Amino acid sequence: MILIITASIIGVVLLFASFLLKHTSSLLHLVTVLFAALFGVAIWEALQPTAILTQSFYLDAIRVDRFTNQFNVLITGCLFLYILLMKKHIAAVGKYKAEYFALIAFIMVGIFMLSSFNSLLVMFLGIEIVSIPQYILAGSDKENLKSTEASLKYFLMGAFSTGFLLMGITLLYGATGNFMVSEFNFLQATSINPIALGGVLLLIVAFGFKVSAAPMHLWTPDVYDGTPTPFTAFMATIVKVAAFVGFMRLFQTSFTAISSSWSLVLAVVIALTLFVGNITAVFQQSVKRMLAYSSIAQAGFMLFAIISLNAIGRQGMLVYTVAYSVASICFFAILIKMKDYTYDGFNGLAKKQPFIAALATIYMLSLAGIPLTGGFMAKYYMLKAVLFEGSYMWLAIFALLMAAVSVYYYFKVIIAMYFKEGEAAMIDSFTKEEKLYLTIGALALLVVGIFPSLLTGTI
Amino acid sequence: MIQYSYLIPLFPLLGFLINGLGWNKIPKSLAGVIGSTSILASFVVSLAVFVEVLSPSFQGPFVQHYFDFIQSGTLYIPFAFQIDALSASFLLIITGIGFLIHVYSTAYMHDDEGMVKYFAYLNLFVFSMLLLVMGANYIIMFIGWEGVGLCSYLLIGFWFKNHAYTDAAKKAFVMNRIGDLGFLVGMLLVLYHFHTLSYQELFDIIQSSADQTNMYTAIAICFFIGAMGKSAQIPLYTWLPDAMAGPTPVSALIHAATMVTAGIYMIARSSVLYNLAPIALDLITWIGLATALLAASIAIKQNDIKKVLAYSTVSQLGFMFVAIGMGAYTTAVFHVITHAFFKALLFLGSGSVIHAMGGEQDIRFMGGLGKKMPITKITFLIGCLAIAGIPGFAGFFSKDEILAHAYAQQPLLFVALLIGALMTAFYMFRLYFLTFTGSFRGTEEQAHHLHESPKAMTLPLMVLALFSIIGGYIGLPKVLSEKHWLHDFLSAAVTEKELHELSHATEWMLMGVSVGLVVVMIALAYKATQKAQFSAAKGLGKVLEHKWYVDELYQAIILTPLNHLGVFLQQIIEKSGIDALVNNIGTSIQWLSTRVRLLQSGIVGSYIFVMVLGIILLLSIGFLSTIL
Repeated sequence: MILIITASIIGVVLLFASFLLKHTSSLLHLVTVLFAALFGVAIWEALQPTAILTQSFYLDAIRVDRFTNQFNVLITGCLFLYILLMKKHIAAVGKYKAEYFALIAFIMVGIFMLSSFNSLLVMFLGIEIVSIPQYILAGSDKENLKSTEASLKYFLMGAFSTGFLLMGITLLYGATGNFMVSEFNFLQATSINPIALGGVLLLIVAFGFKVSAAPMHLWTPDVYDGTPTPFTAFMATIVKVAAFVGFMRLFQTSFTAISSSWSLVLAVVIALTLFVGNITAVFQQSVKRMLAYSSIAQAGFMLFAIISLNAIGRQGMLVYTVAYSVASICFFAILIKMKDYTYDGFNGLAKKQPFIAALATIYMLSLAGIPLTGGFMAKYYMLKAVLFEGSYMWLAIFALLMAAVSVYYYFKVIIAMYFKEGEAAMIDSFTKEEKLYLTIGALALLVVGIFPSLLTGTI
Repeated sequence: MIQYSYLIPLFPLLGFLINGLGWNKIPKSLAGVIGSTSILASFVVSLAVFVEVLSPSFQGPFVQHYFDFIQSGTLYIPFAFQIDALSASFLLIITGIGFLIHVYSTAYMHDDEGMVKYFAYLNLFVFSMLLLVMGANYIIMFIGWEGVGLCSYLLIGFWFKNHAYTDAAKKAFVMNRIGDLGFLVGMLLVLYHFHTLSYQELFDIIQSSADQTNMYTAIAICFFIGAMGKSAQIPLYTWLPDAMAGPTPVSALIHAATMVTAGIYMIARSSVLYNLAPIALDLITWIGLATALLAASIAIKQNDIKKVLAYSTVSQLGFMFVAIGMGAYTTAVFHVITHAFFKALLFLGSGSVIHAMGGEQDIRFMGGLGKKMPITKITFLIGCLAIAGIPGFAGFFSKDEILAHAYAQQPLLFVALLIGALMTAFYMFRLYFLTFTGSFRGTEEQAHHLHESPKAMTLPLMVLALFSIIGGYIGLPKVLSEKHWLHDFLSAAVTEKELHELSHATEWMLMGVSVGLVVVMIALAYKATQKAQFSAAKGLGKVLEHKWYVDELYQAIILTPLNHLGVFLQQIIEKSGIDALVNNIGTSIQWLSTRVRLLQSGIVGSYIFVMVLGIILLLSIGFLSTIL
């Protein structure tokens, strides 16, 4: 709860900072301190003796439980890493430097709401607080037509999906007369009325849009491609993971008893997502666009946590949060320095920058899910969860085949770096600190890959 | 002290790490010191452990559990060591003789560039062997087992610039892997049926359910296949003679203290199992006998000093397996011990000769070396007397015990073994006389260079010679003493089968016959070597010289068909089958990608259209599946 307040205050402080601080460097120092403080508050809150209990706030509209705390720590940790690696690039996007950071802080407010809502209204608020600043961030490079186009597309389609979300909430309210997700009175019923079912299915559609699940994924490649790269890195990782946590929270608390009536739909969504994401990524020539499709493909795996409805899935979600976010953020931090975003732009990087190439290899291995990296453990937990649940063996096999396809496009980067001749050009070299943060990211991936229980142990 | 037994493998491991990681920094002389000291340290600990095991207060096997090695479902493998009479005895041999070989190597390898690497490998070798012996379950044994295989590969191919040597290393590795597969299958069978691989638990289960003879036989034969590989029995023995490619001290280590004794150790360790598998024991007897005779006959016609010794090892191992096949496990272990002394002595002695001859190994070009190298000559003679079975020397006691057991079981077996023993006496003394007596047949330059080896080499020889004499007194035969010390000591750890006893008169008679004939054979060998003419062998001699054409046979019936099959699989199955399949999957996915991406038109209107179609589909699935 204090975390939500802190994030809001940080946002407001940053808005005013643009008047007070004239120098970019002092602004960046302030940003670092503020987001470090946010991380600190998240840790502090999770260490409270009461953190293992479920606490409710605001007439029970918000419930903070153990999973919430654990997730908040991980996501603010990832955010902090993102800020450290990207702050210079964020400030370089346009004129309104402080505002970009303020918007990120406000998005965090929405994310914390998504990880702790108990009322559908708070959930809706959270989703919108996350979405609206993103429309702005997508269009922040105003000189660039592609950025503006991305912003407009995102806004149009986002508004469309918000309609589904509201309609779903309305139907559920109509069926139950209640907004409190933990108290839906149809949960225990063996039969379900069509109005409520419509509500649940529309919520799948709405959340599916936010997490870019097929067939609601079509905005993703265009928006991620057009958005300035520092914000793509944010949207594709931290925001997406948060949407998943909201999705999982709602479905695991409320719709477990009636899972038989929606799990097939979700299974179809997962299969489509895995197929479209992986297969389309194969064709891409631009690494940035490949990452957009890869984020769709990874979403397919993360959806396993929702369909499996068990503790292993929740653990897997935490591992996935770290493994996917860290690998993607760090890789984006390398990509952003490349002159050429195509695969050919990476040709021969290993000769010029062996250390960076080695780190990039670790990120790619993790995304591909190769053992000893966090990405492997993340996929492992997800598959285990769905097999444990029992009825979707075919889905797990399909996911494995698709993961095999994904190796193709992730390894293409490694092959370009190590086995192709070329002059990989960078627009700007890495500072010592950046190299340090990138190394920390790679080490974190390896540690999670070997000791995943560090993240999941207490759930 | 026994609770510190983990130190025994730890020292060689440290030695390996230090020499291995610092291979380009550590000076050569220091490497030898590090390597030898680490083995000396584990020898000291082994000795202390042995003394403790020896004391009457020592009760049963001591099992120390260190950590959980594998825990997965019902599979539980602890990392634990087991110390009892059997493992304590082997520990002494491995570290004791291992230490002498290390000391010897400091002088022998002094001029070699890769000396630091050499000592690193040597320490790793000893470490693996210690692990093999100390493990409290088959998995730990298997780790050591494979480690020994790896190290033998590294050391046999130590001079890897010579192509023939790397071939020999590969051969050793492949042959051992074939055996390892048998061992592995055996372990899986055990795991599948008894759900444990710890010795004590397993043997308790086996003893309480003695009626599953078929299963025990299957497991016992699988384990024996593993032993065939490591301990060089028919049909997997051909690697051992070729293993001569490595530096001579390595041969000594492989043949005496480590590696080849692993098979004997494993079966002695599993004695409970083998006692319940009589068919497997019979198989072992026959294979052991065949190996003993075959190898001995080949050794008669070999002219390479190390080859003769190598075949003699194969032959002696055959003797040990015959003892095992008769259920006389302690006798086999007894022979392992005495054999370790005299075979290490003989190999190190041959190393000394090769050192003096500047790398020459062909005994046809030696002769009369005794004058220039008295210590080598005398110690080598002691080794020959020991292996030939002259009373008073170590080999006599253990070999006589095997012969006595054979006679009690089946007189024909005794006759066959006796023939093997006589051939042994013949080829060993042929070797001795050709090398050390008569006149020198090499070049002038070699004659000029002949010299006695340095102290670091002769000292181990002397120590080993001493033990080749007194080593046999730990197991005096029944006719001389009522107490068989080694037998009583090991009986706590090894379950012997009931064996027939011989009357004292028969035993005296057998001893007399065998000793008398051995002396005759030595005289024959002396006579045969006096001519010293080496004409091309004919008839049977030629067959023996070519080792019964076994290598050629393997080539013809196994390798050639396998190669043909490989070519067929590569050309037909892989190229037009698997490759085509894989490539087609790849191209079809790429083609699919070019189609699916068309969804991404960039037009918001069409996006929303597709989305709505999709949502309608999802809603229909949802509603239909609930209604139906």
